[in-house]
Amino acid sequence: MNLRVSALALAAVFAATAALAGPKVVAGPGADAGCFKPWSDKTKFFQWEKKAGPYRIALVNGFVGNIWRIQMVKTAKAFAETPGIKENLKEFKVVSTGTDVAAQLGAMEDFINQGFDAIVTIAVAPDGFDRIIRLADKNNVVVVPFDNILDTDKVMMVNEDQHAMGVMSAHWLIDQMGKTAGDILEVRGLPGNSVDRDRHVGFREVMEAAPNKFNITEVVGNWDPGTSQKVTADALAVHKHFDGVFTQGGSDGTVRAMMDVKHPFVPMSGEGENRFRVQIADYAKDGLKGMSYGQSPALVAIAMKAAISALQGNVMPQLVSIPIPVADYKTLKAGENYFPDLKADFFAPNQFLPCGVTFTAPQIMSQSEANTK
Amino acid sequence: MSDLALRARQNVAFLTAVGLFLVVYLIYHMSHPKGFSSAVLVQNADEVFTLAMVAVAQTVPVLAAGLDLSVGALMTMVGCCASYLLTGTTASMALEIAGYSLPLGSLPAGVPGLVIGMVICLAIGALGGLINGLVVVYGRIQPIIATLATGAIYIGIALFLRPQPGGKIDEDLNWALTNSLGDFASTVHIFSDGAAPWFAPFAGIPTPFVLLALILLIVWVPFRRTVTGRTVYAIGSAEGAAYMSGLNVNRARIAAFTLGGFFAGCGGLFLAIQTSSGNADIPQAGAYTLNSIASVVIGGTSLLGGAGGALGSVFGAMMLRVISFFFRIFDIAPLLQPLFEGVILLAAVSVGSLRVLRVKNTLELFR
Repeated sequence: MNLRVSALALAAVFAATAALAGPKVVAGPGADAGCFKPWSDKTKFFQWEKKAGPYRIALVNGFVGNIWRIQMVKTAKAFAETPGIKENLKEFKVVSTGTDVAAQLGAMEDFINQGFDAIVTIAVAPDGFDRIIRLADKNNVVVVPFDNILDTDKVMMVNEDQHAMGVMSAHWLIDQMGKTAGDILEVRGLPGNSVDRDRHVGFREVMEAAPNKFNITEVVGNWDPGTSQKVTADALAVHKHFDGVFTQGGSDGTVRAMMDVKHPFVPMSGEGENRFRVQIADYAKDGLKGMSYGQSPALVAIAMKAAISALQGNVMPQLVSIPIPVADYKTLKAGENYFPDLKADFFAPNQFLPCGVTFTAPQIMSQSEANTK
Repeated sequence: MSDLALRARQNVAFLTAVGLFLVVYLIYHMSHPKGFSSAVLVQNADEVFTLAMVAVAQTVPVLAAGLDLSVGALMTMVGCCASYLLTGTTASMALEIAGYSLPLGSLPAGVPGLVIGMVICLAIGALGGLINGLVVVYGRIQPIIATLATGAIYIGIALFLRPQPGGKIDEDLNWALTNSLGDFASTVHIFSDGAAPWFAPFAGIPTPFVLLALILLIVWVPFRRTVTGRTVYAIGSAEGAAYMSGLNVNRARIAAFTLGGFFAGCGGLFLAIQTSSGNADIPQAGAYTLNSIASVVIGGTSLLGGAGGALGSVFGAMMLRVISFFFRIFDIAPLLQPLFEGVILLAAVSVGSLRVLRVKNTLELFR
């Protein structure tokens, strides 16, 4: 047997089927550009064959069990009930498959087999979905990864620019410290993850560019407040003093660790946790010149909306860029972009008005499962 | 009592697992819009294969009364190796260590290269298992601690090989092994590209299912019949008695871990082919190790060793997977799904241990 030749034959077969199924690459601009902003000038545009609604859509989540994911699932269920979306949905199913890539691939394939029209997903790994993409294209199913997206340009994806978050954080620290040298603490996220990698690279690009001479200490906080608090405490025990802090998540843990050892408040950039924003508001006058960018759990809503739009036959960007919701100690407003009265933690940024995502984080998190069903 | 009835009585736990699985799986197919179709079977087989393989890997040391906590890590390490060895191209390989480049030669392109690559991957798995066995036997360390340590080493090697997920495994290999036999035949051009008339009844059978059956038939069944294989059971039953009977306990224990490593390697190899990439995913490795132990228990193998078998663990793994299949068909609130999964799992394990209620002599519980 000769696999080389067979590869060619197979490629020919797939080229033939690809013409019948999957998205066509077309010229822009795409539909609803206010909401679905293309990532860059080079972003391709996709168009699927128009299907008659209402649609069956599945959300295949991976890991479940932190606040961000729970808020994401609740946002998805609430969004599925909002007018304008509800009419387009015949069925909306949510499953969480854990960290196991085989289970996630299996769930996606099952939904393709069941005849779902679109699958919205947070991929557990940036690679390994080629087979599913092949099957989805064959069956004209729209797959929309968001948050942890794939290293491919064959599917439509929705995300915020993680690299820009790193760049933005670096500029913030340099501006607020008012100097180009000093000791910096960088608290990283979950290792081996595209989000962690991209934020880190963006941050380092600016901090390490001439003429800056920063001494950066790197610790791994796993985006978790407890872990962040511990590793920050360790770093403080060794280094005694930092002039600025950049954290990818679990931001309130890092602040608490600094308060525990009576470290003076310094300029800091962190995630969109409500607790962190409350800390910024409380201690800004003492020197916690904080900026809070947010990877919003409401990305799921935009991914769902993008899936529906694609099924309706609209031209869509291959990579949709969502603006990064940012607040700093000057722009924080109680009840608007942070919520000092609420004890439970959640991610404060949840609204994307250009996309019709109008509910706030407290509205989502105070809802019980029964209400959203 | 007839021979068949006796055998059934000796395998109550296993038969319960099979029966329970068949009932649940039948309900799944009947509720699925495309139930009983080849596409659904292929999807199920793909999803189950790696876990089934890792569960079988766990079974062998467990039969010899030792848990292997490194199966998930070994699977991950072999997967990362596969992502370098199964690209299907002739690119020469080199190991970069601290600036030094150690050339490792290159594999031929096409089918021979892929086959050699797969053999190397399985050998790496068996080698990892052999190291486990040597550490346990000659290091005289409790298996659970020894494999915790070697597992950390294997995950370390995996991270070294793939700090970030990546690699590109041959697309045809992926397509051929993760679909039905018909797709396999048309990809590798056998049986008139799978169109031969006699082949038609088999074309819908999922390839991973066939692979699983072949591995068990060619490796597990003969092994169990050897003296070494029976010694593995004897160690789990009564190690002292096995030793006093003149059985080579050390050799059997090393063989058990080596075979476990080989099966874990099969799992890792398939996962890499299925995802056409390698990923040193630590939480995933942990999840597979835990699920492998759960599968072993559901499949009727005693964690104390000496009773059970690989086929039971395969059904245990399928049972474990089939529970989550239901979430895709029925509407269950997403945040309640882990709860349901736990309750059903507990029920499944409890059914297997119902025999405890009929035990007349409490001493029997200790075996």
